[in-house]
Amino acid sequence: MEAVTQQIPLEHFLVLSAILFSLGVYGVLTRRNAVLILMSIELMLNAASVNMVAFAAYTSPEQFIGIIFAIFIITIAAAEAGLALAIILRIFRYRKTANVDEIDELKW
Amino acid sequence: MGMSEAWLLPLLPAGAFVVLTLFGPYLPRKGDWLAIAAIFTTFALTFPIIADLTSAIAEHGPEFGGVTNSIEWMSVPGYLTLNLGVHVDAITVVMLVVVSFVALMVQVYSLGYMKGDSRYGWYYAVISLFVASMLALVLADNFLVLYFAWELVGLCSYLLIGHYSHLRSAAEAAKKAFITTRLGDVGLLIAIILLWRETGTFSIQGVIEAAQAGQIRTEVLTASVFLIFMGAMGKSAQFPFHVWLPDAMEGPTPVSALIHAATMVVAGVYLVTRTLPLFELVAGAQELILAVGLLTTFLSASMGLVMTDIKRVIAYSTLNSLGLMFVALGLGSPAAAMLYLFAHAFFKALLFLGAGSVIHATERQDVSQLGGLWSKMPLTGATFAIGALAMAGLPFLAGFWAKDEILVVATENRAVFALLLLTLPVTAMYMARLFILTFLGEAKEPEAIEHAHDGPPTMSVPLVLLAVLSVVAGFVVFDQVGRAMGFPGGIGEIIFLHEPEVFRFDVAVAIGSTLLVASGLGVGWLIWKERPGLAIIAAIVLKPVHTLLVNKYYLDDLYQAVIDRVVLMASRMLAWFDRNVVNDTIVDGSAQATGFIGYLLKFQQTGRLPNYALAIVIGIVALTLVAFSLK
Repeated sequence: MEAVTQQIPLEHFLVLSAILFSLGVYGVLTRRNAVLILMSIELMLNAASVNMVAFAAYTSPEQFIGIIFAIFIITIAAAEAGLALAIILRIFRYRKTANVDEIDELKW
Repeated sequence: MGMSEAWLLPLLPAGAFVVLTLFGPYLPRKGDWLAIAAIFTTFALTFPIIADLTSAIAEHGPEFGGVTNSIEWMSVPGYLTLNLGVHVDAITVVMLVVVSFVALMVQVYSLGYMKGDSRYGWYYAVISLFVASMLALVLADNFLVLYFAWELVGLCSYLLIGHYSHLRSAAEAAKKAFITTRLGDVGLLIAIILLWRETGTFSIQGVIEAAQAGQIRTEVLTASVFLIFMGAMGKSAQFPFHVWLPDAMEGPTPVSALIHAATMVVAGVYLVTRTLPLFELVAGAQELILAVGLLTTFLSASMGLVMTDIKRVIAYSTLNSLGLMFVALGLGSPAAAMLYLFAHAFFKALLFLGAGSVIHATERQDVSQLGGLWSKMPLTGATFAIGALAMAGLPFLAGFWAKDEILVVATENRAVFALLLLTLPVTAMYMARLFILTFLGEAKEPEAIEHAHDGPPTMSVPLVLLAVLSVVAGFVVFDQVGRAMGFPGGIGEIIFLHEPEVFRFDVAVAIGSTLLVASGLGVGWLIWKERPGLAIIAAIVLKPVHTLLVNKYYLDDLYQAVIDRVVLMASRMLAWFDRNVVNDTIVDGSAQATGFIGYLLKFQQTGRLPNYALAIVIGIVALTLVAFSLK
């Protein structure tokens, strides 16, 4: 059986990654709900993971560096999501809203 | 204890100053005994030094140039070396004796005079420092140490003149003395730096030798010599810097005695004496000294005639004497100048301390309020009379020998000789006037002198000692006197600075000067004692002259006007520039600009998350585009 790397060229993964990342950026810039912004950030992280894994598989398949990176990213993303959700929860409890346009006290 | 250990002398009173400053309030009697003990030891230690010097002169002959003992203080290799050292020769020794003796007398006298003063301990501390600085000044072997001591002398005079700092006049006088002498000090400092740049040494002897060897460029030497003389003029209160000296009378009277006789004003005479070889190399320098000395003598003698403040009259007599010393220096005879300085110290200290006794007893110091004190204060009156006659130059008191030596030197220059003779009767007249108005005649304010009496022993003993010395000090000109006191070769060789000349006595000059002095005294007696109306008539007839003299030739007013118009105008302009340009525009302006820009930029901080996110994205995109376009 042919390896995936021979059937699909690397560029496809890179394009997928770019699309995912752009969607994430779009979400971060356009969403007003803090939870949705958080989800968009997760999307960007996943895009990065896809990039890592794809490059690892195509350039040095005998090593696990890229895969290990991906695992780290997933771990950190989980921790970050937990922390961010906790913060958003506190903000919501305190201000009765998760709309980032209304949370603007940290200014001049 | 010999000449090489002379560095110990200034350290004793300096140590007393340190102890008194730190622990004075905790010491019994606030430590005055310590200050007196220090100065007494210093005075006692000058005698082994004199003996050492006289035996060295006897051994090495009159060419003996003195002993230098110096240590390296710090050095920048290849650039400069600073030494601390002492140089002892004949000039130094004369100064040491004068300074330490007069200081001892003044300190003992102050025990009585300053009793009960609120800053008694501080007074003794500063007076010790004053003496220490003056001793260091005359012992210094290089210009740098001399300059340190020079400035310390100025500082101490400032502190002591302003001792009664609650009096506005005292504060003003102290300021005036400090600023006026400072003008000259700047000149001295520039001269020292110029000479150092030319020769690479601060050593006085080294500079003189370099100058005599022609290693200093003529224009630099000329400038330096005139600047040195400027320093001397400031300290020695020569015209046109003389204005501070009469005002310095605001200090306690013993301080006036010290400043006038030993520690302050003779510093300039000493400096010129020490550097006279430099003056001899510059055309016109000695003529300048001569002219300044003569002018000062004349101005002060005439002003002394009309002043009514007892201390001011004596102050003008000091200017008179200092002028004479500079005349001697200008004529190229440091020996005559030093002899006069030596004799002058005793009778001038005596006059001031006598005046102090009068002020202490009556709390008045204007002769128009005094009079009739002779019977109340016989001791003060008698000693004061001796001082006044010595100042006038009556034979055979100390002032007579010294004054005649200067006259003998001046015979070579007819014009100078004639002018000097003119001042003699004037000097005699105002000394007679001062004595008569203070001690004789009717008491003008009887209640003032009702309880007047001679001071306690601490005050009268210095008076008597100084009176004795004012009588006999002149006899040091005879070698036999020195030998009788146990100094091989006599003291004359010290006073006369091992020059080939020995004391020259010209009978004709002596008789002439005595006649002039006697006539001056006689006229003074006639005007102010026998015919008191004459003084008033003279004042009316010569009204313009009298007004001119009472107003001190309007020189003080002239200076004040110049200060008001020129100096204060310049100050105001500078102040305006500083306030508006430097402060408001540059300093405040930059702060305000920063603040304004910050105010504008702070609105970037909206506090909204999407704005920041957008900024981050734009930034990344921009960076990426830049990176790609550069590739």
